[in-house]
Amino acid sequence: MTTLRPSHSARRAEGSSGGPADAAEPALRVAIIGNPNTGKTTLFNALTGLRQRVGNFAGVTVERVEGTFRSPDGRRVAVLDLPGSYSLSAGAPDEKIALEVLLGRDPDRWRPDVIVVVADAAHLERNLFLASQVFELGIPVVLALNQFDRAEAEGYRIDVPEMIHQLGVFVVPTVANRGEGLEPLKRAIELAPGQTPPGRRFLLPPAVAEALEPLTAALVAAGLGPAPAAMEALRLLGVDQVESHLAGVPDLPATRGRTRAAVERAGFVPERLESDLRYTWIADVIGRAVTRTAPLGRDASHRIDGFVLHRYLGPLIFILLMALVFQSVFTWAQPLIEGIEIAIGATGEAAGRLLPEGDLRSLVVDGVFGGVGSVLVFLPQIAILFGFSGLLEQSGYMARAAFLMDRVMRKVGLHGKSFIPMLSGYACAVPGIMATRTIEDPKDRLATIMVVPLMSCSARLPVYTLLIGAFVPAITVWGGIGLQGLTMLAMYLLGTLAALAAAWVFKRTLLKGPVRPMILELPPYRWPSLRSLWVSIAQRCFLFLRRAGTVILALSVVLWALATYPRVAADPSLPEAAQQEQQLASSALGQIGHAIEPVVRPLGYDWKIGVSIAASFAAREVFVSTMGTIYGVGGSGDDVPALGARLREERDPRTGAPVYTPLVAVGLMVFYVFALMCISTTAVTVREAGGGRIGWQWAGFQFAYMLVLAYGAAWVVYHGGRALGFGGGT
Amino acid sequence: MPHRLRSALTSQADGVPRRTCALASCVPGSRATVVNIACAPDEGCRLRALGLYEGSCLHVVDSRHCMLVDVRGTRLALGNALTSGITVQLERLPG
Repeated sequence: MTTLRPSHSARRAEGSSGGPADAAEPALRVAIIGNPNTGKTTLFNALTGLRQRVGNFAGVTVERVEGTFRSPDGRRVAVLDLPGSYSLSAGAPDEKIALEVLLGRDPDRWRPDVIVVVADAAHLERNLFLASQVFELGIPVVLALNQFDRAEAEGYRIDVPEMIHQLGVFVVPTVANRGEGLEPLKRAIELAPGQTPPGRRFLLPPAVAEALEPLTAALVAAGLGPAPAAMEALRLLGVDQVESHLAGVPDLPATRGRTRAAVERAGFVPERLESDLRYTWIADVIGRAVTRTAPLGRDASHRIDGFVLHRYLGPLIFILLMALVFQSVFTWAQPLIEGIEIAIGATGEAAGRLLPEGDLRSLVVDGVFGGVGSVLVFLPQIAILFGFSGLLEQSGYMARAAFLMDRVMRKVGLHGKSFIPMLSGYACAVPGIMATRTIEDPKDRLATIMVVPLMSCSARLPVYTLLIGAFVPAITVWGGIGLQGLTMLAMYLLGTLAALAAAWVFKRTLLKGPVRPMILELPPYRWPSLRSLWVSIAQRCFLFLRRAGTVILALSVVLWALATYPRVAADPSLPEAAQQEQQLASSALGQIGHAIEPVVRPLGYDWKIGVSIAASFAAREVFVSTMGTIYGVGGSGDDVPALGARLREERDPRTGAPVYTPLVAVGLMVFYVFALMCISTTAVTVREAGGGRIGWQWAGFQFAYMLVLAYGAAWVVYHGGRALGFGGGT
Repeated sequence: MPHRLRSALTSQADGVPRRTCALASCVPGSRATVVNIACAPDEGCRLRALGLYEGSCLHVVDSRHCMLVDVRGTRLALGNALTSGITVQLERLPG
């Protein structure tokens, strides 16, 4: 008899037998599950006090977060925040995660002792569908009626004692964003393990119960507990594919087919049987425990949708919002950028004065401050970008954007849902790729993963900002919008159009398949929580700083060493700047650059740009830090002029012509629009595209096609621009 | 009354009200009860979990490249291929 693989908790128990007790082991393990947009993560954050481990750029999931809190009696409680799910049917990869954890089939996670189901108190009917499935898993449950204040404001009166009586579980009203109801919730969690699991709350018609017996027995024989097996048997009647966690059940499709036939013979429709039974029971519960005093009417969300989703106004609002984001990234951040520049300059100068003239001083001033400092100045822009991204996500606008973009996305073979990961990709491709987990169709999902990195992310900002700031005049051209902001918007638009075109190609070639119809909930609009917004921005800034302090610092030091050694005896008759240029050209970096130069010369780049591009293959921002290091080394000692100004001044030693013309700068930006130069993105693509060999193949293909696109587009810009008379570079 | 809706409500032969039609043929403002969901099982399963099940009442908010419907306070965007397979019984006409 085939048996499903043992649960993680079982394996952990085996592994720890005989060993010393682990002091860090929590006394209680709790999983939080709920429909999307119920305030589940807000509740998780409120419970754990934001001490949770979150996914980072290395690709750890951001959708299955773990944290801890102390119960009222002082015990340590581990909490797992599961992805939002409408049901326990694993139609999408994110729902699969939740189902596998709750059934104890996730090898990386423990099976919970208590499940907290977070329900939106104003939409109880739909939320109780998932809750009723969770009740049948054989694990004690606590039901948190979240957003209780909003439900009351909408006229709902919920009789909580009656709910407890009807459901057989602890029911706790909460308002997570105000921290209300947390102590009763913690107390309920603490007491729940002593309670009997609620189990199925409704009776099956006798003929159905009889028909389900063989299927339930097959699941029990394969290792599922009797309660989850009964839940799964009923659920399997309505789904098409057998999910991977049940792949080990022998002869399951045939058993299910016979069960379906038996259910039909009994006079029921198998596909709708589960929903009929659950919603009938839910209607009874709501009829007993919930009353509504206010009449149904158009709420604020519907009124806002009247504008935001308007046939003509909607797309206009969308474009204006995007323009506002990119313009503000440029203008609002400027004073802060200048402040950071001054602080870094002053610190570097002070450090330089403390150190004796020589290599160590050069390393600190040119390598560390010139390299890392040139990237750090972009922190305000990244904070603003993530702030806007958080605002759009928290307000509920993202789903509206997906609805608005559905028509466009359909033309390229995807549906509107794929636009949400793409929009997230504006901030960072890693969460964007993770967000594809909500897409049910594997081909649609893979096509979306393949194109998300074409959306210009925050790591491209330093490159765009440096080049736009140096070569695009700061003038107002149209309706108060600056040319620099417009250029930035053009780069983002170019990436977006390229992503759509690439998706069109993928969906007609490698990932050919029908377009699945869209099913998307448009959540009610909400005021973004300033606290959550701040936490999100702070986390992203921290990740950026950590990257600057590790990868970029290490690369800056290596590049400084390559640019400094081997030392050559410079011609003393030359001016100091020329001597430094001679030293740089003869250094290891110079030699590498000259070796690379033939590859980048057709794009109008000199060896310094070539070596900066080569250095930035692991992370795009390194392009700017490498430029900072190169021009810090090649510059005039302590008084390093702003990098942009140095680029404008740079001349080809052979011809005396400017190296960086606006055409070269545009070509360079276009190169970075298309090129995938981010090791974190590659790592997450490997995993999300299937892992192992398949994952690597897709990630390798993604890297290669984007590099070819980048090179080709930069070549076209440079040679096309020259042909049109815009002038060349070197 | 919009022509599309009128034809959905009234049979061409005898003028007797024909109360059921595909959700795709409903115009904005219509209120209807879901009678049948005929689509891929996984999609049907998702719709039912979202509260759109046989017997639920819905309100059509918009219909263009995809349809916007309100189901017991939840607003859903549904692709046209899907709404063609959902049969509804019209309860109220727009306006």
